[in-house]
Amino acid sequence: MADKKDKPFISYKLRGALVCYSIIIIPILLLGLFTYLPVFWAFQKSFYDFEIGGISHFVGLSHYIEYFTTDPTTYISLVNMAFFTLFAVVVRLSLPLIVAKLIISIQSERWRHFYRILFLAPIVVPGVATMLIWGGMIYSSQGLINEFLRLIGLGNYTHAWLANPGTALIAVAMVGFPFIGGFEVLIYYAGLSGIPESVNEAALLEGCVGIRKFFLIDIPMVLSQLKLILILTVIAGIQGFEGLIILTSGGPGYRTTVPGLMMYFNAFSFQRFGYACAVGVILFVLIFTLTIINFKFFKSAEELQATK
Amino acid sequence: MWPVQDEKYIPEGVEETCSSTCTPANVKYNIRFVPGGYYFPGIAPAGIGQPNKGFYEVAAAYENLHPDTKITFCDAMARREYLVTQLSSSKAPDILNVNVEDVWPDVQKNWYVPLDNYLNNPNPYIPQGKPGSVQWWDMFKFQAISRGKLAPNGKMYCISYDMIETAIYYNKNIFKKVGVKIPKNWDEYEEIMTKIRKAGYTPIQTVVTIYSDWGIDLFLDQLYYNILPGIDLVKDPVREKYLQGYLDWDEVCFLFKKGFFTRYDKRYRELWKLLKRFRKFSNKDIATEDMIRGFVRGDAAMIWSSNLISYRFKADKDIDFDWGVFYLPKFTTNTTKYASGVDMCVIGGSGAQFEISNSAFSDTGDPKTSERLKRVVDFMQFITVPDQYRKVVNERPLLVPNIKGVETLPLLKPFEKILHRRYTTTKWTYTFDLKFSDILERMLLLYLDDYISLDEWIEWQEKNLESAYRRFTRKKHPDFAAMEKEWQRLAPIRKNYIDMPELPDKN
Repeated sequence: MADKKDKPFISYKLRGALVCYSIIIIPILLLGLFTYLPVFWAFQKSFYDFEIGGISHFVGLSHYIEYFTTDPTTYISLVNMAFFTLFAVVVRLSLPLIVAKLIISIQSERWRHFYRILFLAPIVVPGVATMLIWGGMIYSSQGLINEFLRLIGLGNYTHAWLANPGTALIAVAMVGFPFIGGFEVLIYYAGLSGIPESVNEAALLEGCVGIRKFFLIDIPMVLSQLKLILILTVIAGIQGFEGLIILTSGGPGYRTTVPGLMMYFNAFSFQRFGYACAVGVILFVLIFTLTIINFKFFKSAEELQATK
Repeated sequence: MWPVQDEKYIPEGVEETCSSTCTPANVKYNIRFVPGGYYFPGIAPAGIGQPNKGFYEVAAAYENLHPDTKITFCDAMARREYLVTQLSSSKAPDILNVNVEDVWPDVQKNWYVPLDNYLNNPNPYIPQGKPGSVQWWDMFKFQAISRGKLAPNGKMYCISYDMIETAIYYNKNIFKKVGVKIPKNWDEYEEIMTKIRKAGYTPIQTVVTIYSDWGIDLFLDQLYYNILPGIDLVKDPVREKYLQGYLDWDEVCFLFKKGFFTRYDKRYRELWKLLKRFRKFSNKDIATEDMIRGFVRGDAAMIWSSNLISYRFKADKDIDFDWGVFYLPKFTTNTTKYASGVDMCVIGGSGAQFEISNSAFSDTGDPKTSERLKRVVDFMQFITVPDQYRKVVNERPLLVPNIKGVETLPLLKPFEKILHRRYTTTKWTYTFDLKFSDILERMLLLYLDDYISLDEWIEWQEKNLESAYRRFTRKKHPDFAAMEKEWQRLAPIRKNYIDMPELPDKN
């Protein structure tokens, strides 16, 4: 009887678990309320003609059908998005990695530290400021590029770089050139630093140095970092449109328009929230699919090791 | 966005406007009013002359008549994003100044008050026997244009406070030097532009929005006017009296399905060709260039702009040449075989368009029982009384008066003459919604500047129309059966027309 009386109503193990759950329940609720609920809400609203202050009408798949069949901006915006994303993938997977390798190859710790700070510093510049600098000081009619062309006697080649349909797309893609300042360099640097000294020594003994070592040892060893950057770049490429609003508003014509930008315009300029939700859902499905593919086919070094 | 109020001027004896937070205790109705940049009291439009005082005086006169009312002038953005947020929360000013076409997409949300009932009844400030004593409507000078602002749902949401019209301004010195005169028709016009260009001047300064708005409307009217009897399928019992043959969105939808405004419509193709031909006489950069500068500097012989610019030109001491205005001349059969041969129509129209928002009936939430709304309408009626109206609109020669009994200032007389012409066949860019207009404007620039071909441009517009057609028919369910019946009835008339569009046989 005494034993039964002393036995706690809730076991210590369960009590501990309840404390943990009660702590985590608040962030989960907030996450659900502010992240997942809007997603479900957007998904539901994509089947409605919905405007602020207006009455919602159920329209079924009409918005999806319109997007893929009659909306003249769909095709060009998807092509532009693919271009921007592929361009970003190529430059962000390669150039920062080279820079990180160059930094880590420096013998002096002090100089390594200096270059790390130098390449990381541009992160502190807000994205909007960067866009304004490129739009106003570099690409404008009296900007850096045109003035340089005039200086070297190539005045005939000056352009309204962002307003000319022939140059706008590439001009937008080149924003951020030479693509070596910031976050990616740091990630790759961390990956390269993590290569065990024994591996480096073994490579040296085998005569695997220089570019050969870069391709045969370093790159395979930073596959995790490459995978991370690849996923983030693809997501940013599909979602991103803020910079385009500042630089070109998607123009001239729709030469620099992407689906994200059309989603924004449909919601806030054309007052077609239901349609904008449908575009958002399509982008979500696209990102989700590409991320799954990425996870399935792009193996990190650890995953490859585990497979063997 | 309205101009920044950096030169506020408050006449003696008039209190400065303030927000509702400093409303005196005896004030029952604080009417928040957006008069717009040209009339905003305390500022000098375009930085020329003394600051405005007209509306201060009118507001003071009204407040004297109604001590329980205060008029607060608001500096509000005309941006749609701003309006949507304000109106959806009933926080917008009581009287807005917005192009009524931008109001139409939102009328079913009860954000705006229909004014028909008030316009059809007397204006209480008008003595017997004067225009407005039977119905407020009678006070307005330009009936066709004012009544043409009827929303697609058949209700009127604005009063057209004043009028604006476009014209070609020309440099008389250049015309004299080159030896050309004001053209009588389009062929002559193209001839003189060619001569001007050969003499080393830019014939005309324009911007892309001129083509997408005014240009399309004028050219379309010139090419389709003659065939309107065979294709105008809906005759609105109210508007037809003023807007003969006007093509509304539902008619455009129906005609589109019959092949009009597609690659099979030869008039439609001609419209874009002619527009591009005209663009070739214009300044190189129609997207970003300040078009006024070229004319003022004497580099360009003409500029296509509205009457607002007259005021600026007259005050500009740097303009060392004489200038005049003329309206665009009509097409002839030499210009195009589809020319209707009629004079170019009016494409300007209402300038300041005042609407009453849902804030006006915030006291009861019901426009039928709201005392506040009655007072807001009463104030709107007061500002159209000629003696009050004159103080505002004729304070400076910016806009043409639209109230009978108020004279037009000499500088604006040529524009008043144009405004008496027939109204346009359609306002193409406002036919559907903002998405339709956006695609139209963006892609037209690429076509006019040779970045896409005519076929590509027409393909874009077909898709744009198809998309708009589906959106609108899904939402509004137009009566296409009635139109089809009328279409069949008009078939004998159409037999006399050349080049009617023929859709390819699907089999």
